[in-house]
Amino acid sequence: MIAQQLLNGLIVGGVYALFALGFTLVFGIQKILNLAHGAIFTVGAFVSWYVVSLGLPLLLGILASIVVCGLLSMLVEFVCFSRLRKTGDEEFGAIISSIGAGLVIMTVVQRLSNTRVLRFPFETFPVRIYEFAGLRITLLQLFMVGCAALLVLALYILIYRTSFGRRIRAVTDNERASTLVAINPNATYRQVYFISGALAGVAGVLVGLAFSSIHFAMGEPYLLFAFVIVILGGLGSILGATIAALLFGMMQTLTIAFLPSGLTNTIIFLALFLILMVRPNGLFGKEAAGALRGRR
Amino acid sequence: MSDFIFNYIPVFDLFLLHLGFAFSQYIALRSGVFSLATAAFAGIGAYTAGILSVKLGLPSPVGIAAGVVLGTAAALFLSLPLSKLRGVYQAIATVAFVQIVVSLNIYLEGLTGGAMGLNGIPHTVGTPVLFVAAAGVAYMMWAINRTRLGRTFDVIREDEAVAVSLGVPMARYQTLGFALSGGIAGLFGGLEAHHTYALEPNQFGFTFLIAILSYVVLGGRSSVLGPIVGTAVLIALPEIARPLDENRVLVYGLLLILVINFLPRGIADTAIDRLRLRRVARSGSAPAKAGKAVET
Repeated sequence: MIAQQLLNGLIVGGVYALFALGFTLVFGIQKILNLAHGAIFTVGAFVSWYVVSLGLPLLLGILASIVVCGLLSMLVEFVCFSRLRKTGDEEFGAIISSIGAGLVIMTVVQRLSNTRVLRFPFETFPVRIYEFAGLRITLLQLFMVGCAALLVLALYILIYRTSFGRRIRAVTDNERASTLVAINPNATYRQVYFISGALAGVAGVLVGLAFSSIHFAMGEPYLLFAFVIVILGGLGSILGATIAALLFGMMQTLTIAFLPSGLTNTIIFLALFLILMVRPNGLFGKEAAGALRGRR
Repeated sequence: MSDFIFNYIPVFDLFLLHLGFAFSQYIALRSGVFSLATAAFAGIGAYTAGILSVKLGLPSPVGIAAGVVLGTAAALFLSLPLSKLRGVYQAIATVAFVQIVVSLNIYLEGLTGGAMGLNGIPHTVGTPVLFVAAAGVAYMMWAINRTRLGRTFDVIREDEAVAVSLGVPMARYQTLGFALSGGIAGLFGGLEAHHTYALEPNQFGFTFLIAILSYVVLGGRSSVLGPIVGTAVLIALPEIARPLDENRVLVYGLLLILVINFLPRGIADTAIDRLRLRRVARSGSAPAKAGKAVET
């Protein structure tokens, strides 16, 4: 029973990781909390649903979500943050501005969907259940784990092993110095926002598939969960966010399974609060916070 | 004429209530604490007043006073851990606190009525009481701005390092500002409970938080007129035009983005600066230099 819950938690945690990574990536590079991230995630689920309901394959839907959410995230950066960064008051301003963007996106989605709760058609994903060593896992769950693992791995390789990743880290370290070596910081920022949005989009599709409840406000709880995850892992840390997301997924499924259901959120946010008090830099200490910095 | 007044009394009441909450948010930001906890203190005040009067049958002034005390106490308690954090981290910690209060209000069904809410609170607060309370708080804010306390808050908010180097006990002042924020929110929470008959746990959640924050951002964060102007504009807008009411959330979102990008100091503060500049220019002393001095 506990092993089954832990497995379920790991699977959900993988999806949380996708969502939280995009969030923490933006914070790591610009010290900006993008509160429109939840709304972008919602758009991801809706775009895929729309593509699938047109009769096209799911894979095409996921691709469409990646592109649309990536572009939307770039648009949010352009409209909400690019001007603020020049004034230097982006810490307060960006929070306000991205709350605004989130509200606008959510309302548009609400209008377009007429406030309905949508679900993917039943046969979108074949229902198959595997059993081994007493644990049950569905094909969909395997797909979710596969997607999450693949994308997280790809992100690692991208950031720590390619010249594009070196550019990102250079801009994070010192924006002015990076221009001296012919890096265009603004272009780099735009690319990071695209990646961030794309990850949120995929997370949206996976959550839509798994819980079959797609509605305009679905991103809000995930945004709040992402707070917990990125703080637990250290704001801006990629490795931290990945591990924290898995831990968080397991913690959440365990509290849901074994404690009175109303208390889940209380415990989650109490935990967040305590972590902030005891280790504001996350579980992995000071070095990990903003780990994009200072790693060659 | 009397019809006209009668129709607009509910709107005026709403304005007065939200003005109180806006002042609570204002004084926290004014003292340099990036707190979003006003929603939580309001919830604490409202539920305290509601529970004392429904479950114990105490008279409403007692309940409201208890709400003020508990709101202040919660703020004092919260200020201890909060003083260790800065900026974004304070914002996240206080959002977590808001979520804890909301989920506890849902969970403690025996006391708070759970998700169904708390009903049958005696209606004892009318427009005169609200007006006196709002005017009193406004006067308090004005008095604070006129004294050394207001100038100390200014220094802390502009530059913490300078404040500390001038021998300002920063933590003590921020605790004071934060406790005031808690007390004011507790007071108006209690007033709201006795003004609206019924309370509902999600009433004091994320949406409430955003609305209150919008008032202060739109109006301005430094003069007392800021919250008044911001609340008046955002409460009046949906009443002026029906289409604006239907798109209330969209309007809030767009306003947040536009104001923080193009009028980052808010309507009232910008207007006050303009007037001052003009007066200085008319009196003939070097306008450019004086303009700089006023801006800082």
